[in-house]
Amino acid sequence: MNYWTCTITEIEHLQSGYALLRFSADEAITGEPGQFVMVRGDWGDHPILPRAFSLVETGPHGAILVRAVGTGTEKLVQMKPGDKLFVMGPCGRGYKQPTSRRPVLVAGGVGVAPLLFLADRIDEKTPRPVFVYGAQTSADLVLTDRLQSLASLELITEDGSCGETGLVTAPLARLLNDGVPSEIYACGPTGMLSAVAQIAMRAGTDCEIAFESPMACGMGTCKGCAIHDADGQYRYVCSDGPVFDARQIYGGTN
Amino acid sequence: MNDVLTTSIGEWQLANPVMVASGTFGYGLEYTDLMDISRLGAISVKGISLNPRLGNPPPRVCETPCGMLNAIGLANVGYDVFVNEKLPELRERGAVVIVNTYGTSTEEFAELARRFDQADGVAALEVNISCPNVKSGGMHFGADPAAAAAVTAAVRQATSLPVIVKLSPEAPDLRAVAQAVQGAGADALSLINTIRGMSINVRTRTPRIGPVFGGLSGPAIRPIALRMVYEIYQVVDIPLIGIGGITCFRDALEFFLAGATAIQVGTANFKNPLTAIEIIDQLHEYCIANQINPSALTGQIQISSPNE
Ligand SMILES: Cc1cc2nc3c(=O)[nH]c(=O)nc-3n(C[C@H](O)[C@H](O)[C@H](O)COP(=O)(O)OP(=O)(O)OC[C@H]3O[C@@H](n4cnc5c(N)ncnc54)[C@H](O)[C@@H]3O)c2cc1C
Ligand SMILES: Cc1cc2nc3c(=O)[nH]c(=O)nc-3n(C[C@H](O)[C@H](O)[C@H](O)COP(=O)(O)O)c2cc1C
Ligand code: FES
Repeated sequence: MNYWTCTITEIEHLQSGYALLRFSADEAITGEPGQFVMVRGDWGDHPILPRAFSLVETGPHGAILVRAVGTGTEKLVQMKPGDKLFVMGPCGRGYKQPTSRRPVLVAGGVGVAPLLFLADRIDEKTPRPVFVYGAQTSADLVLTDRLQSLASLELITEDGSCGETGLVTAPLARLLNDGVPSEIYACGPTGMLSAVAQIAMRAGTDCEIAFESPMACGMGTCKGCAIHDADGQYRYVCSDGPVFDARQIYGGTN
Repeated sequence: MNDVLTTSIGEWQLANPVMVASGTFGYGLEYTDLMDISRLGAISVKGISLNPRLGNPPPRVCETPCGMLNAIGLANVGYDVFVNEKLPELRERGAVVIVNTYGTSTEEFAELARRFDQADGVAALEVNISCPNVKSGGMHFGADPAAAAAVTAAVRQATSLPVIVKLSPEAPDLRAVAQAVQGAGADALSLINTIRGMSINVRTRTPRIGPVFGGLSGPAIRPIALRMVYEIYQVVDIPLIGIGGITCFRDALEFFLAGATAIQVGTANFKNPLTAIEIIDQLHEYCIANQINPSALTGQIQISSPNE
């Protein structure tokens, strides 16, 4: 774990209030796909808690993809290159290393962030990934050019303004029917994760899902980020996750 | 460096008066990548009960203006795991450990004190009679002077460790509780624990904290905490440990001036886990520059009468 005092080096403003923030510290930013960082700007006491963001790039620069949805994220997307950024991480347990099976990455909304990083990390030993990316409307689909270069991309919108009309579950179910041994990596709203997990478990396909939960510390100390697992026990998103095997959370419902 | 900031809490000598508050710093060991935890005046670990506790249904935390609500429900590993798996490493790392204890009865508080009295590596006990997030025990003891005194006396009898009693800002008569606890043999008082509050998600019309109420902490409560430290300083002789919304060195100074001998950093650890270390460094600089020990600041608020 590190607490990096960073400088914002670049902000790429995208559609729908999304921005890609790049930052650097006097040492490399480390972390793996699915891991996250706790981030704050150099503002006063409000908001006081740092915000959790999936890492999208690591190395000499780190990057996060922020969607402005409230006080903290609004402040972040309005920051300028040269501004100070406090970044704690890498936090949590990321996605497991892809194997020789076909990776199927399923993203809903801002859930695209950790999966973009994962797609970027997949090397030649692994079959070319399929990336199923869904959102409300076409403007909410960001960085699609980059995704296109990394994976075979299937876009889907609820209003049909881009790609297929509907939810990510339809193309996912279709894909799993083609008999190619696959493994699923997902991130998105809870409803989507639950549906993806059901499909995966029914197909007997390994599935890793990344969760969100309100957080304070991001490192397992405050016990604020509890969710229920399949056995009714509490799991802590920041330290047991944010990536869980789908069976741990939704298991047993066949 | 240590000499400049040496602080006494009764017989107990500390290298400096800057501690981290229970529930906001885990068991301390989580932070060893980020700092040398032996530099902290003391670490008040997450409240420990005899048996492990799972905590409350989520959501357990939410942000509010300049602060946060929490309803963790004292989720903790319990006495055995703490003593066997956490304490040895804390000891090895030279951490000064305050064990924050939670019981549902006077007897349970006494039993914990008896057990920790035998444990190697515990510097002091902080008796939490002020947690707002549990159904039994907790705040109920802290609200009533007689009950608070009974818990304090039982703990006092069970251990020769320094006994700190952590007060609840929700006590109808906090001065009476403080005096009763002093009378029952406490070595120091720490104040304040969180204040119950709530927040509603207007879109879903649901509470933003699982159990509806949560404990409010952070800068939002600092003026209340400061007022209480000031008030209690007038009525007791034992040292006070000031807690509530401290985020920086200036905030810490306020608490010393109001009457605190030491302070604890809580919610600000989430903002920046190095907050307490930064306060120690700045306090050190300040004390060197002014050639004083921090204890020279305790209670030194200057109040002039309006006619002067
Ligand atoms: C492990 C993890 C990884 C994340 N990765 C990303 C990412 O890569 N990019 C990104 O844009 N966002 C990500 N998030 C979500 C992000 O942390 C929240 O959007 C952010 O905390 C909202 O802060 P705010 O101050 O803008 O919103 P607030 O003003 O606090 O709240 C605005 C709205 O956001 C909701 N909200 C608040 N906190 C969270 C939260 N932690 N999770 C979900 N909803 C929340 C509230 O219920 C409310 O509806 C991640 C969250 C977690 C836990
Ligand atoms: C998430 C969280 C958990 C806490 N857990 C405990 C606890 O276990 N025992 C205790 O005595 N106080 C607990 N507290 C209270 C703090 O120790 C402190 O008294 C309070 O938060 C006020 O200080 P602050 O404003 O600096 O946070 C907790 C506070 C928070 C925010
Ligand atoms: S956010 Fe504090 S334990 Fe997970």
